[in-house]
Amino acid sequence: MEKKIADLQKKLDQKYPGCIQVELDQSRIVLTGVMNSWEDIIDACKMCVQKDKNIHVVNHIELKGVKKPQMRISSIQDTKYDGRHCDVLIIGGGISGASIARELSRYKLDILLVEKESDLAMQASGRNDGEIHPGVDLNKGSLKQKYVVKSNRSFDQLCQELDVPFKRVGQIVGFKDKKLYPIIWAYAMQRKYICGVDDTCLISRKKIKELEPNLSDDIQFGLYNPMAGSVSPYGLTIAYGENAIQNGVEIALNTAVLSMEVNNHKIIRVTTNRGMIYPDIVINAAGVFADDIAKMADDEFFSIHPRKGTDSILDLKAGKMISSIVSTKTLKKDNSHSKGGGIVHTVHDNLLIGPDAIETYEKENFATERKSIDQVFSKHQKTSNIRQSDIITYFTGVRAATFEEDFVIEKGRNTKNIVHCAGIQSPGLTTAPAVSKDVVKMTIDLLSEHKTVEKNELFNPIRKGIPDLKHMDLKKRNELIQKNPDYGIIICRCEEISKGEILDALNSVLEVTTIDGVKKRVRPGMGRCQGGFCMPLVAKIISEYKNIPLSEVRKSGADSIISYGKTKENTDETI
Amino acid sequence: MKQYDTLVIGGGPAGLAAAIGAKKENGEVLLLEREQRLGGILKQCIHDGFGLIQFKERLSGPEYVERFIQEFLSLNIDYETLAFVIKIDKKEGFYHVSYVSKKGVCEVTVRSLIIATGCRERTAKQIQIHGTRPSGVFTAGCAQHFVNLLGEKIGNKCVILGSGDIGLIMARRLTLEGMKVLGVYEAKATPSGLTRNLVQCLEDYQIPLYLSHTVTRVFGEERLNAVEIMQVDEKMRPIEGTQEIVECDTLILSVGLIPENEITESLGIALDLKTKGPYVDDYFMSSLENVYICGNALHVNDLVDYVSESGLIAGKNSMRQHVSTQSVSIDLSDDFLYLVPQRVSVHDVQESMFYFRAKKEMKAADLLVKVNGKEIMKRRYKNLKPPEMEKIKVKWEMGKISENDHIEIELKEDLCVK
Repeated sequence: MEKKIADLQKKLDQKYPGCIQVELDQSRIVLTGVMNSWEDIIDACKMCVQKDKNIHVVNHIELKGVKKPQMRISSIQDTKYDGRHCDVLIIGGGISGASIARELSRYKLDILLVEKESDLAMQASGRNDGEIHPGVDLNKGSLKQKYVVKSNRSFDQLCQELDVPFKRVGQIVGFKDKKLYPIIWAYAMQRKYICGVDDTCLISRKKIKELEPNLSDDIQFGLYNPMAGSVSPYGLTIAYGENAIQNGVEIALNTAVLSMEVNNHKIIRVTTNRGMIYPDIVINAAGVFADDIAKMADDEFFSIHPRKGTDSILDLKAGKMISSIVSTKTLKKDNSHSKGGGIVHTVHDNLLIGPDAIETYEKENFATERKSIDQVFSKHQKTSNIRQSDIITYFTGVRAATFEEDFVIEKGRNTKNIVHCAGIQSPGLTTAPAVSKDVVKMTIDLLSEHKTVEKNELFNPIRKGIPDLKHMDLKKRNELIQKNPDYGIIICRCEEISKGEILDALNSVLEVTTIDGVKKRVRPGMGRCQGGFCMPLVAKIISEYKNIPLSEVRKSGADSIISYGKTKENTDETI
Repeated sequence: MKQYDTLVIGGGPAGLAAAIGAKKENGEVLLLEREQRLGGILKQCIHDGFGLIQFKERLSGPEYVERFIQEFLSLNIDYETLAFVIKIDKKEGFYHVSYVSKKGVCEVTVRSLIIATGCRERTAKQIQIHGTRPSGVFTAGCAQHFVNLLGEKIGNKCVILGSGDIGLIMARRLTLEGMKVLGVYEAKATPSGLTRNLVQCLEDYQIPLYLSHTVTRVFGEERLNAVEIMQVDEKMRPIEGTQEIVECDTLILSVGLIPENEITESLGIALDLKTKGPYVDDYFMSSLENVYICGNALHVNDLVDYVSESGLIAGKNSMRQHVSTQSVSIDLSDDFLYLVPQRVSVHDVQESMFYFRAKKEMKAADLLVKVNGKEIMKRRYKNLKPPEMEKIKVKWEMGKISENDHIEIELKEDLCVK
């Protein structure tokens, strides 16, 4: 190992003379120094990645002249959770944290999940394409691959239990060069028989045309995985969270972990903006901030290098063009660390185009850029004739990548009472069901060292979602309206969402009474008018439900004011 | 199942006029309105200037539409509010329509359908505004709803993008409600709104208008705190290096309206790419038998008076006994932005009404109507501007249009007039 480090140092000195020092330290490779460009830092760190996946690269290189932005936290400061003890503290309310919370609630434990944002699934889990991956792009040897196929197969039951819409839309990767057929055939067979991706098959141009008549005529054959699916990533996260609450978990929103007190390899105390929490075990599911949490816990053995990607959503009309998840590939090496995105038929029947992949030192820069959209479109227009004029919205998410480009699912190395669920990027949404079960196993192992953990006999895996009236048969829809006339009042005309559904969203076990919270749960404002018509109506419903003036209704975070107050007294309009 | 001659979808100015028109032809009429009150978008248009053509008076939006509501109510026409059409099936020459209301899922069978669903606004994302997603970005109509219907103060310092009429009117409105309007920015080299609005809404309040400028980016994590403005070239592409940051907490977008044709499209009716509304013949009937389109769902009108007019015509026509979808299309010259109706029905006809917009400003132009190469009408126009719609009545001197007739309408700019 000593020699390996010396070799790495030599290589780095050749490429970046005098910039970086490499050290091997408790099975991690730590890079220190100062560099001028973030791209160079990423490059230097990548040069140090080892075949042995247990050795992670830790990046301590300073980016010259740049102060990395602080983690954004809610303006709320109180003592709501001060002095709170719990068996397990889960940090992060994304798909990882929420799924772990639900799986952990199968045990009789006091579980607290803290999320710094005003809702669940606010970062990567709410900002991705919602694909349930078949796993055909992954080879043996990674944690991603270990979990992906098993997890994919569990989605039918999971989504039934959690009452979350899920469709196995299938995935087609098209190839335009006939000569590639033997290579792709070998690849497909390896994936099918060695990696266990048993739904993999090759399909002819004719079959592709049958499945997807609007794909490019140049596509000669395709790699097909009918088990690929689409789900609403934030819908699934919220459903997991709600089921966890029903089974006894407490979820604390707007609650950010600021520091930890570690004593004798044990986390004693966790400081948040809402008081000090005293957990027995901590689960690190903090997404892009997982390395910061690990550092606070004195257990930093990996680094996250944020990589942002932008997706566009096309109008429902365009959704009729493509019914599955499609892309085209050449054999040209793709260094972008994303399989290059594609065109996804979402579970809500829109098309989603993207994402791209751009390295950034900003963990929370969700700003979109025109050039991302242009590039993604020019790439995927080779697959099908998609048009920018059909765009109804776009968004950016940031992937929480490690330099090894794999998950970190393990107990703390230095600190004894932490479990890391880190480095979760694609296919992290797909793998959540299996990953969460393993994280729970590790957590129970740790807890069992000093106490008996009992099963939660009352655990109920069933969560009832909000009725989706638009997709119901008319007879059932009529019955529901008879019972509750609010289901007959359409508030969002583009997505056909009723007042009753909006009230149900406000009434959920996890109360998120914001415009965006309602939008994520029942979709008013997700359509082609993007809330131009319904936003004032939804705001009014929230104000009536909460009995607060409109000036206290928020779009999302505590400071996302919509109105500054009344212009005059006695103005009122009911919906 | 209840049966009607005509179902009108939409209770705004077009739909109300259509229902009145059909009722006056002794039709059994049902009108469905998705909002709680009749009146459509006019409910929130509390500025004046409506009705100059129709009533020779300057009315506010609510006053204008109230006259139609009163006439509509006096005719005892069936209607429901908070009623939303979810499905239409065509069966044996009739339309089976399902809609939801507080009563449940209801169904009616009708012979004719009039689609008067109005239009919607283009959004920030449709014009490629990038950056974060803070609160404080409103379309003009949404802002109007908050300010005029709900009485809410939606901001303190506003930037308005788009010099369309709603943008101009909101500039005045927000100023009157105590907000500071920093400026109206317009990507085009010429203003998009009516001249009277430029004078009465901006000049009178000393609100600056910046032509060939657009908003390219918004800033702010929670509430908007600034926008980036850029100059644009003649093709409306931002010019690098012209970025300017303007601090503000509110961005109002008045960047165009699009006819709402979700129902029309669900029936398989083709849309005209120029108007973004369906193709219709001179009866305002679409390519589908007994389906009529009127008002802003057909094309975005400049004045509500024309919206009501088209509604009334469509309503009357919906009660015709013999209809034919046979029609001939009109060849338009390039100087038209669009012309509706786009087709003329094959029938005995004395005259047809057309509405059009020129593609660019013209000091003087001649409009020529030709049938089979022969000029049958010529009319001189002065000061044509794209924001201002024109109306023309064409007299067919042969008294009949047959399927082999070739109709051309030309707009020829007279460049000698400066």
